Amino acid sequence: MKLTRRILMAAAAGSFLFSGTAAMAQTELSFWSWRQEDKAFYQDMIKQFQEKNPGITVKFETFAPENYQTILSTALAAGRGPDVIQVRAYGNLETIATPGYLLPLDKQNVPELANFPESALAAETLRSDGKVYAVPFATQAQLVVYNKKIFQDAGLTPPKTWDELMKAAETLKAKNITPFANGTATAWQNETIVGGLLSSMLGKDFEADIVSGKANFTDPRFVNALAKLKDVSQYFSPNFTGVDYPSSQQLFAAGRAAMFAGGSYEIANFKKQNPSLDLGVFPAPVLKAGDQALVATYYDGGYAVNAKSDNKDAALKFVRFLATPEYGTAFTNTLKNLSPIKGIKIEDPITQEVAKLADNSMSYLMLVRFRYQEPSGSVLLQSNVQKMLAGQQTPEQAAAEINKGIATYYKPFQK
Amino acid sequence: MTALASDTRASRQPISFALLAQVILIANSFIMLYPVVVMVLSAFKTTGEIFDHPFALPDFTQVGNFTKVLGETEMPTYFMNSILVTGTSVILILVLGTMAGYAVARYESRTNTFILLFFLAGLMLPLKLAVIPLFILLRDLGLLDSRWSLIVTYTAIGLPSAVFIMAGFLRTLPLELEDAARIDGASEPRIMWSVMLPLARPPMAIAAIQNAVPIWNDFFFPLVFIQTDERKTLPQGLTTFMGEYTTDWGMLFAGLTIAAAPITLLYIVLSRQFIQGMTAGAVK
Amino acid sequence: MLVSHKQAPSLKRQLWVAFLVVPPIAFMSLFVVYPILSAFAYAFYDWQGLARGEFVGLKNFREVLFGATMAPVVWNAFLHNVYALIALMVIQNGGGFVLAWLLYKEPFGFRFHRIAVFVPVVLSTIIVGFLWKLFLNPNFGIVNQALYALGLDSWAKPWLGDSSTALGALILANAWHFIGFPTLVYLAGMQRIPPEIIEAARLDGTNEWQLLKNIVWPLVAPSTTILFTLLFIGAFNWFEIPYVMVGLDGSPFGSTDVLGLVFYRTAFGNQSASIQNFGLGSALATLLFLFIVVFASMLTLWLRRREIQF
Repeated sequence: MKLTRRILMAAAAGSFLFSGTAAMAQTELSFWSWRQEDKAFYQDMIKQFQEKNPGITVKFETFAPENYQTILSTALAAGRGPDVIQVRAYGNLETIATPGYLLPLDKQNVPELANFPESALAAETLRSDGKVYAVPFATQAQLVVYNKKIFQDAGLTPPKTWDELMKAAETLKAKNITPFANGTATAWQNETIVGGLLSSMLGKDFEADIVSGKANFTDPRFVNALAKLKDVSQYFSPNFTGVDYPSSQQLFAAGRAAMFAGGSYEIANFKKQNPSLDLGVFPAPVLKAGDQALVATYYDGGYAVNAKSDNKDAALKFVRFLATPEYGTAFTNTLKNLSPIKGIKIEDPITQEVAKLADNSMSYLMLVRFRYQEPSGSVLLQSNVQKMLAGQQTPEQAAAEINKGIATYYKPFQK
Repeated sequence: MTALASDTRASRQPISFALLAQVILIANSFIMLYPVVVMVLSAFKTTGEIFDHPFALPDFTQVGNFTKVLGETEMPTYFMNSILVTGTSVILILVLGTMAGYAVARYESRTNTFILLFFLAGLMLPLKLAVIPLFILLRDLGLLDSRWSLIVTYTAIGLPSAVFIMAGFLRTLPLELEDAARIDGASEPRIMWSVMLPLARPPMAIAAIQNAVPIWNDFFFPLVFIQTDERKTLPQGLTTFMGEYTTDWGMLFAGLTIAAAPITLLYIVLSRQFIQGMTAGAVK
Repeated sequence: MLVSHKQAPSLKRQLWVAFLVVPPIAFMSLFVVYPILSAFAYAFYDWQGLARGEFVGLKNFREVLFGATMAPVVWNAFLHNVYALIALMVIQNGGGFVLAWLLYKEPFGFRFHRIAVFVPVVLSTIIVGFLWKLFLNPNFGIVNQALYALGLDSWAKPWLGDSSTALGALILANAWHFIGFPTLVYLAGMQRIPPEIIEAARLDGTNEWQLLKNIVWPLVAPSTTILFTLLFIGAFNWFEIPYVMVGLDGSPFGSTDVLGLVFYRTAFGNQSASIQNFGLGSALATLLFLFIVVFASMLTLWLRRREIQF
């Protein structure tokens, strides 16, 4: 038993050494991601990188998004894991950066960090040591995607104010078209809906007041916005409390609904499922004409280097490649997702629109500010909005619950 | 007087009871099978057809969904892995489980209570809890990212229930059986192998199916232990598949049908032996 | 007399018993006991993400049971596990007993019915979960479509989205999946009852109900012991069906949250919470483990006593 095992191990080691010498010091990098649907793009980019850097090969592996964090954490905790890691941002980044699993990045080892706006780097910065741990890959915006053809046929233009939105929705409903494809059965959809529809009514000042502690979530601006949301939910898809994320995507992609409140990342997906869709985007409607129209933005995540990698130099080379404007341009145009890298050239008209809207934005509040501790602002917002839209609590109660949860750890609310 | 009353009841009751029993059984079988039938039928439809005519019979020549699932995905590889992993694990569970169950059930010993409690504890462990230490252990043994990592894990998980099922059954076998063999001079291993175990096929079938199902189902452990695509098992592959085609219901049902087919067909084939084994009833 | 005969085991027999018992126990010790014990130890440490920090004693346990943030979630989930246990005990095990009795009488078509009732059991939980999730879709699923077709429009509901029906839907999906298991185990138990006993009771004029209550039920006590213990453990480790059908958050707003989901969220995090805490997760798992061991042992001992009494 022992002998056979030793022979096997020797054989394995032998073949490993042999292939190693034969390929002349090839460095193989492993690169993990949860973006299964982007595999073709990444393979293509890897090919370009390998042509420029003979001697380095990159192996791209993907995992189901809902399990990615588990697999990654488990592997890192056991001292394994890939050389290059696609990581998420904010609180999610902290769980793997805090124990020291990631290599800190700076202008020395990755000069290309200069290509990024400060807010993007902040998303990949650990609050405790102020160091950047990943090269950001995408800016996302929560807004409203609409079906241009349905709007034209109904004689509608994108609504600017909340009243216009309600009127447009009523018009559509009268024509037997589902105004919003959205449903609330999938918890996190409630947060994207709030971001897509309420940002302009909340406003940048509200965010500033929350951060400074001048206001909390029982603020009338927040409560009133929630009440408006409750109001508009009558125009969501039929039985919306039981409609989960895939079903609402389905409804919109099939052209059976006019609008979808959610992330800019949905657009590529909708187009892939139904290339004939003619889509447009508009920001959250304002309460009264003249107010600033906003979308809610955040950074999706970044590319990081494993601190325990045996191939740090090669890994850094690859990460630097992922931070170039050329890469950002290819990323944006192929995946129809906005790269935060400065100086990229956007071809796709909708992505250009998204980029323009993203100039007027507030943070996607709960993710950016309140996903660092339990109970996270996101979980509170999701479950309480879900409950409110199901008619089981009032906007005041929802706001109070959210505030109570965050106040357990957020000092400015404890006064 | 009383005799007469009970007579009429006895003659009338079986008919109405049999009727009620038939109604319940037919309703139950319908509830059990109809969802499976709908799953299979829907696999032949496009998403639009499923939405508009959920109960209609499909055009059975329309096999596009199936060819797409088999042609564009890694399903066949996942199948082989699931079969290898499940088969090996179940054999190991039955061998080890019968050994321990037999010892506990057929031999008086002060340690029996301890052994039963030991396995009872094993039966109740929230298994996900052990995943990190297990991961490190398997790495140290050089088993990570191999099918053996799953096989040893599943064997360890399935063993306690097999011990209980085997012990629970073997305990009910009458002492006279083995005493008779013992008087004839049979050795202990021979009594176990030739006298007792042939009677223990029904609980073995229960133990085998009861363990094979969760092993075949499991997607948590492969997810953590297996990284190489060629070694992934079916449920792991299926979750990925369901995530990729979330909005294409025809594909979803085709994927589910293909994933369900082998074990269902296997069951229908093996159920004869299973039922035979159970009706053979050793204890009389 | 028999007992004294067995209490004088020879060395040879002792070796034989050791041969039977040692390999399974060694296997279990290496792959279950050792990892679990290490995992228990984790509950007493502070965790920074996935890196172990200082020893903190019982702090994690206090947080799980009494902490302002975690305790309400845990108790809410615990209650749902209890509901599931009670409901499944009646629907799954009780229903299984009734079906087994009907099959035991070998009515017309019983072979078919026996195969049919077990079909869902062999399906993977992932398949069952996805299947019922598709069926329960409020707008396109066959459940509501069937209700509309029958003119019962007002009965149609967003089953998984309505907090009053979601947990029930999960329980029914689980019962659909597993009812064949208790049915066939009970059936096997009934078939082990000497037919003379039942015949004799019949001749005495015992009615159906008395026969079931006084003869069959006590005689299948060993099956009951196994089935109820397994169900108890299963109900408190419930994870796959809720995970697939309502997601990690126990949507809508925690109305389907169960301890398995809480444990997974706490230990491994989810996208919306981003917190991963092995200390709290291990503490929760340890408490759950102790609870299950204590109650399942009591349950087993109590049920076992019934067996002996008979």
